[in-house]
Amino acid sequence: MLKKSMWYSILTIACVGFIVLAIGFYQAIIITTAANPQPSAKAETPQTSPVSTKLSSQNANSFKLLILGDSIAKGTGDEKGKGFSGYLTESFKNVTSKEIIVNNAGIDGLESLGLLEQLQNKSLDKTISESDIILVSIGGNDIRSILSLNDLAKEDQFKVRMASYLGNLKQTMKVLRTTNPNSIVIILGLYNPYEKVSSAEDTKLLNTWNYNTQLLVEQDGKGIFIPTHDLLKFNLGRYIAKDGMHPNSAGYQALSNRISKSVEPIISGL
Amino acid sequence: MYSLIKNEVIKMISKKRLMFVLAILVVLISVFAYGQNQTLARTKAQLSQRMGITATDDWRKLAGQQLIDLKNRLDSPYMDEKNKSSTRVRMEQLQYNVDNNINPLEQSAAKFTTKFMEQAIFLFLPLLIIMLSADMVSGESSSGTIKLLLVRNVPRWKILLSKYLTLVILEVLVVFFAFVLSAIISGAFFGYGGWLAPVATGFKVLAGKLDSTSVLNVPQWRYSLMVYSLAFFVAVVVGSISFMISILVKSTAASIGIIMSTLVAGNFISFFLTDWKITRYMFMVNLRLTDYLSGSFQPIEGMNMLFSITVLLGWAIASIIISFVYFTRQDILV
Repeated sequence: MLKKSMWYSILTIACVGFIVLAIGFYQAIIITTAANPQPSAKAETPQTSPVSTKLSSQNANSFKLLILGDSIAKGTGDEKGKGFSGYLTESFKNVTSKEIIVNNAGIDGLESLGLLEQLQNKSLDKTISESDIILVSIGGNDIRSILSLNDLAKEDQFKVRMASYLGNLKQTMKVLRTTNPNSIVIILGLYNPYEKVSSAEDTKLLNTWNYNTQLLVEQDGKGIFIPTHDLLKFNLGRYIAKDGMHPNSAGYQALSNRISKSVEPIISGL
Repeated sequence: MYSLIKNEVIKMISKKRLMFVLAILVVLISVFAYGQNQTLARTKAQLSQRMGITATDDWRKLAGQQLIDLKNRLDSPYMDEKNKSSTRVRMEQLQYNVDNNINPLEQSAAKFTTKFMEQAIFLFLPLLIIMLSADMVSGESSSGTIKLLLVRNVPRWKILLSKYLTLVILEVLVVFFAFVLSAIISGAFFGYGGWLAPVATGFKVLAGKLDSTSVLNVPQWRYSLMVYSLAFFVAVVVGSISFMISILVKSTAASIGIIMSTLVAGNFISFFLTDWKITRYMFMVNLRLTDYLSGSFQPIEGMNMLFSITVLLGWAIASIIISFVYFTRQDILV
């Protein structure tokens, strides 16, 4: 009797299960193979940036700022959504009466190679050539992934990454300079958001990185390296966003203040 | 036919092998769920240590911020058209979490159940199936009962078919119980919710690259249904192959050994896959079907869902044909 009821329950489970699983199987195939109905025909060409639609005559009564690089350039982490684009504009307004136009081409997760490729594909050339100030934040993503390595591997990897980073940065500067020889190029240094759990060794590596970046940047007469590590070191609680990595609104504001102070004379003279 | 199958099923149940498989499932799922629970607690502790925040409480702010970022990214003119749909999908998921007050860090029974099968599909599930299928025929030969089966006035193919169908029934049962057990057991750890949460799927391979233009969100229950269906398909394929081996080889131990070593070898043979094209036609490297759903596979030129399914299907059909031809022609000398 027990066997009989067991047999029937097994048979039911098997039949129902089979049908359900067959349906699921069919769906799985459809979802991974079927052509998607939404066509991406209306692909916008990235050349037309909505921010820079005002193509007023160069340098006449407008002042143009271009922000390039990674998520920090983009303003990720700012709960008010302003980032450098917002705060730098506010700071510059106090110094100049010209209209300030900001182009932000920051991309989350961009590495130095990505930045170089972005510049080399020429779509930004027009914007670059019109910009008075170019702010670049890059390198954080190049170095981030080595943090979890052990000390020995870390140092080796660090050397490799730094070499390729410096190479890319050099090329990037070159591209920027061929397109626009006159603009001020600001390169932001790296800070360490994980200060609390970092060893002295990590700090040393970070300083090496920043130092080499600075050497490279300031070979260019109109290039300036702006450190961020010193500003954030004891201010992580105040200036770092909830994601533990990017600056928050106050952080961006503080950094913007520093940047704006550094280039004030140039802006007011323009 | 009906009574033949019934007879076979009852035989399998009285052999207690199915109970054994279920017991293994219960033990392993409990261990995994417990382990997941521990990992989760540790991750939270780590996060709060590193960021100085309690990741469990502040996730809403974090999610809100991520939403703003993603929205900005979507609006950016420099955004690659290809990445847009994955960004959109990510936003939908975050929005769902925020709307329903679900901390994305938390596990749920639904997530665990799906994860479990995604991990089990290429080795653990096939092993369970082998336990059931490897002695279906060879067991009869080694114990000599095959004579009693064959002298009855039933054609041989019918006997074999009834055995095969029994195997399919058992496969459904295993997949079914794997689902039910992991849902119940992990629910005790993580709570029984999460079946409506959106999961991203719909990845494709275009010209050897992972293409995420058509990514979309499906509810978790539908996603797990698909995962378990693929698991069932894998179970049928592996079942058919080991069924064939159990016919070709008379001893149960040899039959289990052969199919198991093939499976284990398949797991590291895929390392050579990129260099050696022929390996992709082996059934072992095509077992990870669920990876096509989750988009977590290494895109390899020429391999996609349809390819894998075709290869597996080919293996299954070939094994079934060989099984039937060999079994009906073979001389039984026991």
